[in-house]
Amino acid sequence: MAFSPVITHEAASSIKVTATKAKSLAVRTNSTSQNEALSEAKSGGQELAERLNQETKDKYVKDKKLGEGTYAIVYLGHLKADPSSLVAIKKIKVNTEYRDGLSMDAIREVKYLQELSHPNIIALHAVFSSKNQNLNLVLEFLPLGDLEILIKDSEGIRYGTAEVKAWMGMLGRAVWFCHENFVLHRDIKPNNLLIAADGEVKLADFGLARSFADPYRPMTSQVITRWYRPPELLFGARYYSGAVDVWSMGTVFAELILRVPFLPGNTDLHQLELICNAIGTPTEENWPGISKLDGYVKFDKAITVPIRGKDFYLSRFGTAGPVGVDLLMSMLALDPRKRCTARQMLEHKWWMTEPQPTAKEDLPKKSGGLEKMGDDLKRRGGEIEDGRGDKVARKLNFGAAK
Amino acid sequence: MPVLTEDDIYRTSTQYRLWSFTRESLSSLRSTTNQSAAEGVRAALKSIHSQQTAGESEGQRSHDEVTRPTNYLKEVDCLSVEEELKLVGFYCVKTMQFADFCEFPTNVKATAVQYLKRFYLSNSPMTYHPKEMMPSAIFLATKTENHYTSLNSFVAKLQKITAEDVIAPEFLLTQGLRFTFDVRHPHRGLEGGFMELLALARGKENSVPGNTRSPGQLQQAMMELEPAKGGSKITRSAEDVVRRIQTAHGKAKDVLKTAALLTDAYFLYTSSQIWMSSLYLTDEPLARFYINSKLPSPSPIQPRLFIILKSCADLLRSSPSADPGEAEMKELMKIDKKLYKCRNPEKIDLVGINKAQKREGHEDGLDDKLIKKRKLERQKSEKEAEDIFGPALEIK
Ligand SMILES: Nc1ncnc2c1ncn2[C@@H]1O[C@H](COP(=O)(O)OP(=O)(O)OP(=O)(O)O)[C@@H](O)[C@H]1O
Repeated sequence: MAFSPVITHEAASSIKVTATKAKSLAVRTNSTSQNEALSEAKSGGQELAERLNQETKDKYVKDKKLGEGTYAIVYLGHLKADPSSLVAIKKIKVNTEYRDGLSMDAIREVKYLQELSHPNIIALHAVFSSKNQNLNLVLEFLPLGDLEILIKDSEGIRYGTAEVKAWMGMLGRAVWFCHENFVLHRDIKPNNLLIAADGEVKLADFGLARSFADPYRPMTSQVITRWYRPPELLFGARYYSGAVDVWSMGTVFAELILRVPFLPGNTDLHQLELICNAIGTPTEENWPGISKLDGYVKFDKAITVPIRGKDFYLSRFGTAGPVGVDLLMSMLALDPRKRCTARQMLEHKWWMTEPQPTAKEDLPKKSGGLEKMGDDLKRRGGEIEDGRGDKVARKLNFGAAK
Repeated sequence: MPVLTEDDIYRTSTQYRLWSFTRESLSSLRSTTNQSAAEGVRAALKSIHSQQTAGESEGQRSHDEVTRPTNYLKEVDCLSVEEELKLVGFYCVKTMQFADFCEFPTNVKATAVQYLKRFYLSNSPMTYHPKEMMPSAIFLATKTENHYTSLNSFVAKLQKITAEDVIAPEFLLTQGLRFTFDVRHPHRGLEGGFMELLALARGKENSVPGNTRSPGQLQQAMMELEPAKGGSKITRSAEDVVRRIQTAHGKAKDVLKTAALLTDAYFLYTSSQIWMSSLYLTDEPLARFYINSKLPSPSPIQPRLFIILKSCADLLRSSPSADPGEAEMKELMKIDKKLYKCRNPEKIDLVGINKAQKREGHEDGLDDKLIKKRKLERQKSEKEAEDIFGPALEIK
């Protein structure tokens, strides 16, 4: 129970300081001559909130463009007072074609990043709007690409179990923290795991996140990029839990070891087939209640694959060791109730077994560093056309969310 | 493995970091906002006047015209902080009624009300009329509370309000909210406490480190509690206690749905303090018993906590009615009439201001070709999405 934080002056201090300033400015308006009053009048009419916004905006300088996503342009920027402190400024286009005002993506991203402060979650330093009503998110600058880049560069980058353990540990802590705060991320995948200059992995892109405080309200099942989407969502479940994120983490874990996406389905049905083959066919026996899900697909008895045993996993993921495979299997349990939670994942004995996770400073870094960034940005842009399906899920979500 | 307590989590919330005040800091903020807005109104009127006079040549001006506007300026009677509060409070009630009419869930309603209250900490009704901010606050709350319905269907429920009227103030609203959308409500905490109380009444395990009483002892102690104020009946059996808890729960819920929203409770107390105060207000002995069962005894924070709960309960008791009577309506009408004369003329046309800002903003934005391209791409992927998610799964 949160009874102890007693409210103090401190909490309100930032708004108060500016309030005093506004007051003194307003007083000055009175004593100016008529002509100046005209220009002063504007600032006198400027409300406190507007002034606070201006102050935030003035703290940062926008530099060159870093890249562009579907809903935003990302710029490199820095603190005006300290040019060496870099930030990423993500400018969200508010008023392009989405006529319902601020988009759900932007709202979710801002809403959750404002609340979640953790070393493995991308930090939102500030938000301001420019005069043209664009929303600008000042994010921590993460110059070393993302996990997908590292996974794909199998020529240039070698890594082993100790590295995988380090990355999974950081991912697990990020997701655990979200869930402790009753937030589901709902879009965990390697290219949403950005890497800081010191090697720390940061969970980013909260555009699909939502809180799951109320267990009785249905949610949309059209979330999570298909390859990382758990079977309950593929079956259209509308009541789900943190287990969806755990599944995604499991598929990321597998991908880190395999160095190719583990379950790269082309369609939702194909995705289910891949899951059946790799993990086992979901049935009433291994997942009681499954046939009641709206989108349940009954598979032919003849092609039913029994739940894969540990040997099967060991043959593909043996490098993680038998204990690592245990963890992987419990993250990829078909029945979400049998899947481990983020907390259980972090308490797993894998973390206690050899090898120790690599220290973050010693983790492999993408080749090329900053200069290569431009290329990576292009690569990611192209990916949308490749049809990885991520945009698809996101778009539908707008329609489905009631 | 660290354990995050509710306190830890609450302390990192924007509700605590940005929207919590002491009574003094809250009232000084409000008076600063009021004064600054009043200056804005006077300055705007003055500038309109000087533009008018500059447009006329000396000779054409009659003596009367020269003096009248200046006097008028001196006379501008601005709203007081109290009047502003009453007016905003009235629109909070309207917001609740509208949300009920639309059958929006409690969290949408409660969040929309808090958005208005937060917005008017740094903005004055003299600058932006709450009547115009209200639809926008409700619509934004549907989006932030995961109850999004399209703007068209939202507008269909409103009379005489267009889609543009809803969207135009949204930008101002989000700025006034300092881009924080999360509101921590006390409702869920109350439900949790209610479940715990029921478990205690039924003699179920409810162990707290440092609490030495057994479930049976706790159950017994509960039956021996003195009755709530107004509830004269003595509780004799566990069933009596359950009924007592249910009664208190129902009343506390009503307090959270009205008084907690219409007072400054959210600004002055944490969400746990608010729900416990709602219980304290409806059944003080029960609330005291509950808290004692949750704390090790002796507890250093217990006396402090009771002082807080009492002051919060007093605040909740003083709440304006969610159903203003005739006298109140009369007063509100008077305030609104007064406001008509002291509105900042530069800020009345929100739709126009919004349009102008968007036009201005084209310089460094995405270029039109790109926007068009993206729109086409999106339509394409949406269509594909329908194909994929629509019939595909039904094919056996
Ligand atoms: N915090 C950051 N630090 C450094 N670069 C960043 C940061 N955030 C984003 N970028 C870069 O800017 C690009 C655009 O990011 P953005 O989040 O808008 O889109 P995305 O996630 O790549 O794509 P989409 O919006 O389509 O999902 C990214 O590809 C990334 O390389």
